[in-house]
Parts: sequence; structure tokens; C-alpha cells
Amino acid sequence: MIPRTAALVLLLAAAVFSQRAVGRVEPTSPKESKPQGSLAVVVNQSNPINELSLAELRTVFLGGRTHWPNGRRITLVMMEPGQPERDAVLKEVCRMDESDFRRHFLQGLLTGEVLVSPKTLATPVGVRKFVFNVPGAIGYLRPSDVDDSVKVIRIDGRLPSDEGYELRLREAAE
Amino acid sequence: MKESILFKNGRSTSCMRILCVLLLTAVANPRSLGAQASSPTGQTSTVDAQTLQTLLQRMDRLEARVRQLESERVPAKGESAFTEAAKSTPSVASAPAVPPLTPPAPSTPLGEPMPSGSAQEREAEPSEHVEAERMDLSKTLLRVRGFGDVTLHGDNFHPPNLPGDKTTFTLGQLNLFVTSDISDRFKFLGEIVFEAGPDNIYGQIRPENTNSFGVDVERYLLTYSYNNYFNISAGRYHTAIGYYNTAYHHSTWLQTTTGRPFLFAFEDQGGILPIHNVGVEAYGLIPSGSVGLHYVAEVGNGRESRSPIAEEPVQNIISDKNHKAVNFELFARPLKFPGLQAGFSVYHDLLVPFAQAPVGETILAAHAVYSKTNFEWLNEALVVRHTPEGGHTFQTPGFYSQISERFGSYRPYFRYQYVNASSQEPIFPDVGLRAGPSVGLRYDASESVALKLQYDFTSLRDQRSVQGAQAQIGFTF
Repeated sequence: MIPRTAALVLLLAAAVFSQRAVGRVEPTSPKESKPQGSLAVVVNQSNPINELSLAELRTVFLGGRTHWPNGRRITLVMMEPGQPERDAVLKEVCRMDESDFRRHFLQGLLTGEVLVSPKTLATPVGVRKFVFNVPGAIGYLRPSDVDDSVKVIRIDGRLPSDEGYELRLREAAE
Repeated sequence: MKESILFKNGRSTSCMRILCVLLLTAVANPRSLGAQASSPTGQTSTVDAQTLQTLLQRMDRLEARVRQLESERVPAKGESAFTEAAKSTPSVASAPAVPPLTPPAPSTPLGEPMPSGSAQEREAEPSEHVEAERMDLSKTLLRVRGFGDVTLHGDNFHPPNLPGDKTTFTLGQLNLFVTSDISDRFKFLGEIVFEAGPDNIYGQIRPENTNSFGVDVERYLLTYSYNNYFNISAGRYHTAIGYYNTAYHHSTWLQTTTGRPFLFAFEDQGGILPIHNVGVEAYGLIPSGSVGLHYVAEVGNGRESRSPIAEEPVQNIISDKNHKAVNFELFARPLKFPGLQAGFSVYHDLLVPFAQAPVGETILAAHAVYSKTNFEWLNEALVVRHTPEGGHTFQTPGFYSQISERFGSYRPYFRYQYVNASSQEPIFPDVGLRAGPSVGLRYDASESVALKLQYDFTSLRDQRSVQGAQAQIGFTF
């Protein structure tokens, strides 16, 4: 029985593994990219949170916390795949690539630990409006897209304009 | 000329506007007009005539624009008054019964275009209301995600007096994972699984056949989420014993390997643990700073006594005893070490096997898991203690360790598992000793499809060891 199964399995393996990997986006390494400005993490003005550590931010962005201290349900708002802001957050905060991020949330929903999937919006204005309108929302914007309608929180005690702020946009070096 | 322009339409509003325009033009250009008027060069009249001509042309243009704007204000032909009223009056469906507490939309700064708004934006914005403890009929409540797998497997297992296994293509579980946000705090989660029974027919289990396919509601949970520290669910859930049982559920695609470790095999596949339970569970975070302590507390019917395998091990409708199974799990996810989780659980139940004395069941489990996107190391150990009333305790120890690392789309893995039950065990006398390694390779052909190859070697007590190979395609859709 085993030799026949093994032969079938080997044939299948040869057919499959001779192909190249498809559809996988590998995160670029830090050496291949250069910083291109910072990214502000924004919450609703009514949110009592003013500061998060990067580790806490990661927990929030990966659905590990479901509610803010004021009882509001956390709603993560992300920009659409392929946008540099989203890539920066996936890399610097979540430390995942696109497919791992999606898989993480799928598994989180399956286990029940994640209450709600991230909302995906197309434009920074859309993100800002969403964060303004939804008390439990958290998102990210370039500093030039931020206005008084949302609150920028400190990450590890630093604002986007501060030296040593970790959440930075990166663009692939030519 | 001026008079003809001003009165030819006979509309006072137009005249007023034109006068305003003239006034504004005059105010806007006082210096030029004044300079020209007081110019001593004798060209004053010429310049004034030119200016007047220009102004009159502008007036013509503005007047035309005014006419255009006024015509746009008149309702288009065919547009009924009802439509106009509907535009000005919010419809019943769109008007929230309770006004949302969210502040009004901000004014867009000058020069900044209003967002065009993708479909997702338009859908997302009104979906969030602060006072949302009511059903929002305008939202799509049900979301369905599917998982499935097909496996080719073969082994040399040959039980005495029975035909051996054949190399077989096997349909795995077709899992429909269903979630619904009933309200801001209430949520439904279900797993509806179509699977093959001992017969061969998909869709219904017929005990007289060996290939039927039954439908099982594997999970069926209504959850109330109060905050990070307190969530409560009622229904049918996966018992929080160890890590694997609540991390992977019924999807093989999410699992690195082709299947669960034997320790966590489902009850109807010969597993030794009460994987499913019907009852209530509470879970949440324990305030512990960066240690990230979590708790799970469960009370349920427990399982039907298994000797060797009950027809339906999960007591969905009727419990065979008043005694309830209780389980408590405590685990930590330190913030400083993302991916690390360590904890333990204690489960207790009283089983009442037919024609036997009641058997006390205690399951002690511990786990230490390090799981990141590119690397995972899962370690779990447990002991199942069965104590028949007035008898001595049977202890069944078991553990598994699984390690894997991802290289691009490839993820080789290795697992060693061990279970050792006494042949006198009162609840699962058929299990005995099972120990051995599994080695395999997972290949993610796309984001939603994984191909796996696995080789298993299992030592058995007083029997020939079993070698098996599997090729599996697991997918989500």
C-alpha cells in the first residue's frame, strides 16, 4: 500500500513544487527601503487615550484588544492594500505581510478573539472622516492629512514630528 | 443701453444681481477707475469707454450665468413633487430611531475636495452608531467563510481480523464559518460542518452505511462582549483545554499540518478529550500590565461517556446527569514577546458510563507556544485522570511538540506526539499507546490554497507500528 501511495504523493509533489510561489507579497527588508516621512496614528477626539506603546499599538491593530478604556468597541480603519501608508503599518506595527495580516484576522474571527474586521477605506480623507464619526475608531494618516477633527496619539511617548518616532513611511530604494 | 439690459428680462432679482456685480466691480477696481477718471492726460473718456465696454460684456456673461442657474433650480420635467419631498425629508429606513451621539460631520477645509467615497466608505460610515444595541436591518448581518480539504492518504495499518486501509482520496470537512454582528455588543458565531461519517454518503449519516456525509453544527455561540475583561458566550463551543483546540477549530487550511494532533482529535474520530461542550463560557483579560494574563471559565454538559466511542459524544440536547463539567484556563501573552503564549487549564467532570460506577474525570493541561508568521513552536502536555467511584485512578499522559519555519511559500514542519492510555482505562480502553513523529511540508500555492505532504510513523502497543503518507489540498473560500 505504502509504495503506491508514496509514488502518487511524489508525483503530486513534483507537479506542485516545480511551480514558483504565486500571489505572495514578501515584506521588503529595511535595507531595501528608505524612510519617507512619518505616519500619525489618529483616534476620535472623544477617546481618552493619548498615548500607546508600539507593543500596545500592535495589539490593538491585530485585534488583541476589543475595547477602549471608555468602553467603546475598537474599530480599526486601514487604507486599501498597496497604499504606502498601509504597507508601513503592516511592516512597522503588525510585522506581517498582506496575506499574513488577512490570515491573522481570519483566524482571529474564527477563534472569536477578534470582534470585527478592519474597515478598509480608499482615501486619507475617508479615514479622517471615519475616525471623526466613529468614537472607537483608530487609523493612521500622513501628518499633512491630519486636521483638528481627529486626535493624534503619541507612540512610545513621541509624536510624528519628534526625533526617534518609529512609525515611518518607507519607499523602496531604486 | 444699461436700461435695456437691466429691464429687458423684467426680473428684479436679476437686476439686483447685476447691480451688485457692477458695484462689486467698481469696488474691486477703484484704483484703476479713479486713476483713469482723474488722469490729466485727456485719455479719460477713451479709457472709460473701454472699461464700460468690458464691464458690459462681463454683465452679459454674468446675466447668462444667472439665467442658467435659475433654470437649474426649476425641477426637471418628470420629477414629481413626491420625489422632491422625499429628497428633503429623510426616509423612514434612513432615519435612525434614536439619533446617533456622533458629532456632525466636519466642514471640509477650503480647497479640499470632498471625498468621492468608495463603496466601502459609504457602507462603513453609517454602520457605526454609538447607541447600537438594536438590530440594524440595513446592514448585512450574516457573513460566511468556507473551508475545505481533499486528502489522498494511505498506510499499512492492518488491524487483526479486519481488512487493511486502502489508498484513498478523502473528502475532508466542508466547513461553513458563519458570523454575525447582531449589535454592537452581541455577536453570533457558528461552524456548520458537512463531513463524511463511517458510511459514505454526503449530507446525512446513515449508521447502516459507511460512506455517508453528515451535517454537524460544531460551534453555535452567542457572545456578549462587555469589555476587554468580560465576555460571555452561550451555546456549543470548543472547550478551552490547552491551546490547539481553541486556536484551529475545524479548518485544516489554517493548520500547518494535515490534521490535528491525536491528543486533540475530535470525539467522533476517536479523540480522548471533550473537544466540544454545550454550556456557558466567560473569558477576557486580567488586569496584569504587560504580562497579558487571560482567563477562560466554562460550565457545560460535558461529554457522554465514551466506551469506546459514543454515537454522539457531545450532549447537545440532554445531559445524562445533573453534574456539570467545569473548566478553567489561565494563560499569558506577554506584550514584550509577541507570539508567545503559555498557560494551563483544569477540567473536571463526572462521567456515568452505562452499567458502570460513575467515573470522576480531571484533565490537567499546560502549554507553551511561540507562534509568529514565519516560525512556530507548539508544545502541549496533559494528563487525563479517570477515577471510578471506589476504584483507583487511571492516568493517561500525552504531549506533542510541533515546530515549523516558513521559507517563502514553503513551510517544512516536524511533530512528535505521544499518548499512553492503560488497556484497563474505563473510558477509552481502545486507545493504548500511540507515539511517533510526523514530518511534512506545507506549500502555499496562493493566499487561499495550501498543499501539504506528510509522513507519519506511529508506534502502537503490542502491534506493528504504522506508517502513513498523506497529500492534502486545503483551501478557504
